[in-house]
Amino acid sequence: MKRRTFLQLSGMAAAGSALAGCRKGNEKLIPFLVPPEDGATPGIADWYASACRQCPAGCGILVKVSAGRARKVEGNPRHPINRGKLCPRGQSLVQELYHPDRLRTPLKRSGPRGSGQFVQISWEEALATLADRLRPLAPGDAGKSAVLWTPPLQGYLAELVARFGQGVGRLQHLAWEPFAPEWRRQSLYGHQGLIDYDIENTQYLVSFGADFIDSHLSPVRFNYAFGRMRQERPTVRGRFTYVGPRLSLTAASADRWLPARPGTEWTIAMAMAKRLLPQVEPRVLAAAGLDTAELARLTEPYSVAVVAELTGVRATDIEAAVAKLVAIRPALVIAGEMLVAQRNGPEALRAVELLNLLLGSVNTPGGVYLTRPEAPGNDSSLAELQQTLATLQAGNCDLLLLQGVNPTYNLPPGFGFTEALAQVPLVVSCATFLDDTVRFADLVLPDHANLESWGEAIPSAGARGHTVGLLQGVVKPLHDSRSFPDLLIALAQTLGGATGAAVSEKSFLEGLQQRHAAGNPARWNELLAQGGIFPAEAAPPEPLRQVSLGRPELPPAADADPDFPLQLQIYPSSAFHDGHGAALPWLQQLPDPMTTAVWGSWLEINPQTAARLGIAHGDLVEVGSAAGTVQLPAFLYPGIRPEVVATPLGQGHQGLGRYADGRGVNPLQLSSAPEGGGGFPVPGTIPVRVRRLSEAGELVTAGHPEGSYRRELLGI
Amino acid sequence: MKKKLLIAILLLPLLAAVIGLVVLYHLPLDLEDRAPSQPIAFSHRQHVGEMAIDCRFCHRSVDVSAIAGIPDVDLCRACHLFIAVDRPEITRLAEFWQQNQPIPWERLYRIPDHTYFPHMMHLNAGLECGGCHGAVETMAVTRRVVATKMGWCLNCHREHGASIDCWTCHR
Ligand code: SF4
Repeated sequence: MKRRTFLQLSGMAAAGSALAGCRKGNEKLIPFLVPPEDGATPGIADWYASACRQCPAGCGILVKVSAGRARKVEGNPRHPINRGKLCPRGQSLVQELYHPDRLRTPLKRSGPRGSGQFVQISWEEALATLADRLRPLAPGDAGKSAVLWTPPLQGYLAELVARFGQGVGRLQHLAWEPFAPEWRRQSLYGHQGLIDYDIENTQYLVSFGADFIDSHLSPVRFNYAFGRMRQERPTVRGRFTYVGPRLSLTAASADRWLPARPGTEWTIAMAMAKRLLPQVEPRVLAAAGLDTAELARLTEPYSVAVVAELTGVRATDIEAAVAKLVAIRPALVIAGEMLVAQRNGPEALRAVELLNLLLGSVNTPGGVYLTRPEAPGNDSSLAELQQTLATLQAGNCDLLLLQGVNPTYNLPPGFGFTEALAQVPLVVSCATFLDDTVRFADLVLPDHANLESWGEAIPSAGARGHTVGLLQGVVKPLHDSRSFPDLLIALAQTLGGATGAAVSEKSFLEGLQQRHAAGNPARWNELLAQGGIFPAEAAPPEPLRQVSLGRPELPPAADADPDFPLQLQIYPSSAFHDGHGAALPWLQQLPDPMTTAVWGSWLEINPQTAARLGIAHGDLVEVGSAAGTVQLPAFLYPGIRPEVVATPLGQGHQGLGRYADGRGVNPLQLSSAPEGGGGFPVPGTIPVRVRRLSEAGELVTAGHPEGSYRRELLGI
Repeated sequence: MKKKLLIAILLLPLLAAVIGLVVLYHLPLDLEDRAPSQPIAFSHRQHVGEMAIDCRFCHRSVDVSAIAGIPDVDLCRACHLFIAVDRPEITRLAEFWQQNQPIPWERLYRIPDHTYFPHMMHLNAGLECGGCHGAVETMAVTRRVVATKMGWCLNCHREHGASIDCWTCHR
């Protein structure tokens, strides 16, 4: 062979082998084994209405289902709460359904508690174990009790749980989760009715720490209303002022931001009240049990100059806001979680809400609407939570049954939940994922995902009449799971006796149908198709009766404690809410609206403060409080008061699966005593100190020049 | 001089190979297997050619949906409960059924992401299956006869006077 031919041949061989290396494997085409009974046509989708229960707002959803698989979630245009819109958490429901870390079968603990070692068991065995523990609780017998801990429940499920509890005997129901609208019990409006803000028709809106675009009560509903308030009316563009120490997404949407020192926001409300008072007829106040002279005395000290001093906000800015509130009608004032969580929260809340009364904005267009609920809510207060924990700690509880709550994550260590858990002989957890708390359970019962469940979603805010969203199981359950209500029904059947008699329905779905469309299948189908029962017109509003005000205290001076000179604010993240969304990668990848940070936690710190402490953007810092320390990357954020630092809640899980574990930190570790204002487990601000550790903060932001490409930092 | 020439001659193919690879990397080449071996040696020649079974008997949603549909295992089995039950390939089919497993067929035609290709519109416009899929009635081993690239789509759309607006396919 000539050398040239050899070279040609070897060149071709090299190219050939390189090409073969490029050859891709073909994809697979997987047919059905047996086609679904409803004759699904591949490629053609059906849309089913259901509801989202990822937060108490209860939005209506439409789910695209083709070939028996849920593929996309959209807002239900017929649902009065969200009118076709949806937040990212609702969009991510499909990821909850198909999540690789979902619990698939009942599990029994096989290693030490918390080790995460479980063996599969059958449902029969699981039910028998549970029934054996419930039997001795029958009424009349003396002995220990059991606790069932769920988020606040509504409607049929609340009623079913109550019947089940009565049947079993000494079963105490605790209905508590962080950020449940339970805090509204402190409200001036006095009852736990439905509340709705008529934002779309108002001309001037003032929010005191209510982040209604991020997370407050019913964010999709209020977002929609806010858009209409700004742009829908041909001649007016509603104006908006935000009061609070941190520039949240809501604050950033305002015309004016009054960055008041945390805990002093209410003094601005007092300055407003002082100027409004002369306009108000005494009989209006008398009807609410208030005395004009008394109120005048209460508000007397709060002149704009004094308030400017107290809040650290420029007097001209306060004056502008006060003047607008005095001049513009209709005007509306909203108070929210960031205000109520302060130590003086309940009184501050009422002081702010008083403004609506003075403005004549209660139950009027552009104001706040109050409606009596169909059935009272069953949410437990923080005090009830603490009582229950004391019962557990004292060893007076034989069984703890948890459903849909994650107290290991959501309660600061000071509550002693972990210690309480150690005193309970049997911990049973009914959950979709293994999480921080389920890890410690002895028996794990897999729950249906949202898209597999039947039920009701009854909003407690954002509606003016009894609204019931119907949850529809849009796909067949993927795993060997049971929905929580059906678990209770199965348990009642196993137990028989009083419980069996109290809970006699065959299935939750059947009971639901019975409740809403007894003996009328056509009506039932109609309700399912439209997504629930929506009031045709608003219910008559509930008038304000006697109100009681209280006098808020001023917070301690900012530099009261030289060891911990800064105030840490922990806010619910818009992606994860109280933290349970952290398991879903779409939500992890969702850039935080203000910082664009993804897949982690960060500390927002004012550039002035950072410069003083020698901290640069992205540095690793240590945040220390009386209770402990955490390490976070610093995010230099001009939208925060210099003496305040802030971090979102939601990350820092242990045991919540591959996408959440070990990402960011849980800032609740920094809270020591079980104290907070207004029913929150964590005070609105925690005194901390911040110190620079190194430059390796490893902050990943979508807005970074290298953006999400810094995957080496994410480890995905 | 001669030495330099020699080095140049030796380096040239190397250079050519590198350039070739770079070009290959950027060219939209058709790299997927055109006639992969399937988990069951299904013959279109036998089913379509010899038995004259209509395409729609198995690919049932082709004229109503974007997706033609691959027959479910139950459908294969419905006939083969009685027909040719002892052939080795049919035994394999029975095994899949008994093990509750769908048959993992190798995909031949793939439409790139962000592209919408509705089978039913093409059929309802009067196109023949064979126009794209070739004469499957002659294929004992089914093979892909075209690379589903944009140029190929556009040519056909132009020929038939169909829309070539971006939004027609990329939606
Ligand atoms: S606001 Fe709440 S209920 Fe509505 S879609 Fe988002 S998570 Fe779901």
